[in-house]
Amino acid sequence: MVFIENESARKSTYKKRKRGILKKAKELATLCGVPVGVIIDSPYDSSMEVWPSRVDMDDVVSQWQRLPEMDRTKKMLNQKTYLEQRITKGTEALNKLNKENKELEMKEIMFDCLSGKIAPSSIDRNDLVGCSNVIDQYLRILKRRMEILTKNDGASSSSAHAAATTSADMPIVEMGSSSTAFCDMIRQQQMQNNLNHAVMDLDLD
Amino acid sequence: MAKMKNESNLQVTFSKRRSGLFKKASELNTLCGADIAVIVFSPGGKVYSFGHPNVEIVLNRFKNINQPFPNPNNNMRLSEVRSHTPIQQMNDFLTQLMNDLEKAKKKNEEIKKKRKNSKRSENWWEDPVEELDLAHAQEFKVELENLKKVVTDEASKFFQGFPHPNFCVGSSSGAPFRDGGYINPNLDQSEQRRMFNVNAYYNPNMYRPNYQLLYGNNSYAGGCVPDQYNLNFMLAFNQYQNQNQNLNPGFKEEGISENERHQDGHSPHF
Repeated sequence: MVFIENESARKSTYKKRKRGILKKAKELATLCGVPVGVIIDSPYDSSMEVWPSRVDMDDVVSQWQRLPEMDRTKKMLNQKTYLEQRITKGTEALNKLNKENKELEMKEIMFDCLSGKIAPSSIDRNDLVGCSNVIDQYLRILKRRMEILTKNDGASSSSAHAAATTSADMPIVEMGSSSTAFCDMIRQQQMQNNLNHAVMDLDLD
Repeated sequence: MAKMKNESNLQVTFSKRRSGLFKKASELNTLCGADIAVIVFSPGGKVYSFGHPNVEIVLNRFKNINQPFPNPNNNMRLSEVRSHTPIQQMNDFLTQLMNDLEKAKKKNEEIKKKRKNSKRSENWWEDPVEELDLAHAQEFKVELENLKKVVTDEASKFFQGFPHPNFCVGSSSGAPFRDGGYINPNLDQSEQRRMFNVNAYYNPNMYRPNYQLLYGNNSYAGGCVPDQYNLNFMLAFNQYQNQNQNLNPGFKEEGISENERHQDGHSPHF
């Protein structure tokens, strides 16, 4: 978006875009059933371009002037304030997205550590703190989940039964074991499951 | 084309199209130097307007038909310096911002797609937490705490005084950055400053819109930390004009060059 230096290119762009704006103004007015007025003043037109018409514009202007000044100026913008507003909104949106992206990336790192795909020592130092934060976030969610589950445990016996059977299947992990032990344990569990299935098949015979 | 029937759709349409119309008006002025005024009434009777140089000036010209467009020769002369006006600089800033926003959106989609595709059923801990039963949740908690300890140990190799309970405020905290950073009063001044700045760089609260200007991350256009935008862009903007560089000596962290911080590879331009 830069001022078009070439005069004839500028003039032709002007004509096209002027047409476009007036079309958009008409669509807005029609689709939403609201008063709209556009005035364009340029060196390329001998007189001012007014939409819908001078008469209709006069109506819009009177309606406009009838409003108290505060109402008129509240949402009034010029190039400077308009661009400021867009920059503000854009910055907020970008910050929000960047934050989300970072969290998602940290989550991937966390999962990769847990599954043994990478070692925590290989985490880029710039990511260590972010990773730690994501782990904290996850722990908070987990705690909440566990609170809900332990509350329900008292309420229904069936979920307690389910919890009991599952815990019987899971080998106990010692405190202080490394994260790689976690995936080793999982592999062990998977092997155990495979064994169990093999045994079940035998039983069926 | 007729007036929309559905009330809420109409509201949404009004909002979007009004926004689009103003954008077109802004562009017409930027590209072609035309003066313009757009007045729009909302379905609720509120008025929105956009104008260059401003709505009132253009309306006055409209009312006094005999006023010609300001001397075109003036315009010609001005066109040479247009590229240096604050408005043009804001436009440039906005263009870059929109590009970065697009890139961030694509990255967001890619990450989510990758997660969807790489999910393996045997890694039960990757399932949503709500689907875990108590035993698994307990298991997971233990493992996460272990991992946290390992990560923290790794971090303490690089960052003195890390971790501290207040060091990294979780993203749910509303505290502005300065309150979230803890400075160990026992460290000497330069260490404190270094840790403080490290905190500035890594604290997730940096992503918040009310990010403090203090840490010099405000020269977006100067390319300090590209994925951090200071909302107080006018300051950033003035720096861009004055070509102020390297306001933040704290970022001279060992081994990380200016270029390495630029995730998308472009070098700082001033």
